[in-house]
Amino acid sequence: MAKSVVWEISMDKALSRAKSENKHVLLDFFNPG
Amino acid sequence: MDAVTYPNEAVAEFVMTNLIPLRIQFDTQPHATDFHLKWTPTLITLDTDGVEHHRTVGFLAPEELIASLLLGMGKSCFELGRFEDAISFFNKIIDQRPKSHSTPEAVYLRGVATYKSTNDPKPLRLAYDKLKAEYADSEWTMRAQPYSLIG
Repeated sequence: MAKSVVWEISMDKALSRAKSENKHVLLDFFNPG
Repeated sequence: MDAVTYPNEAVAEFVMTNLIPLRIQFDTQPHATDFHLKWTPTLITLDTDGVEHHRTVGFLAPEELIASLLLGMGKSCFELGRFEDAISFFNKIIDQRPKSHSTPEAVYLRGVATYKSTNDPKPLRLAYDKLKAEYADSEWTMRAQPYSLIG
């Protein structure tokens, strides 16, 4: 069981993974405060 | 989100199993402009081509986030014409998370997706009946009201 969310930080890499793994992308725009 | 929702084990498992999680700081260009970002947290479901299909703004508790993400994936499939896949996502919300804020929209869109995949209008009427019976105060019950005329 995954213990934490491991985020991609590159749009290009996320979309490349999405295509190869046939998944959607969860894009979280955040403010680090 | 970082204090409550993302550390939740069910959320982490769901996200890592079903999605590619991508985090971008709110002022990163060109993405902030491309996605018309105005506030955080903004969560967007993208398809494999980077096209937006679902967006939420503001905090979501763990169970609400999972339901919202299922809705986003279902809407993506729906808008891409993959109606059977869309219905599968909507069923997971309706059957497993009947009390979530995403459920009325899932009921509505399941009815539409079923209609579009079968050309049978009865699922639209069934969606309205379920919305009226179980989610009477939802805006989706109002939006489905014309389907009450389907015999």
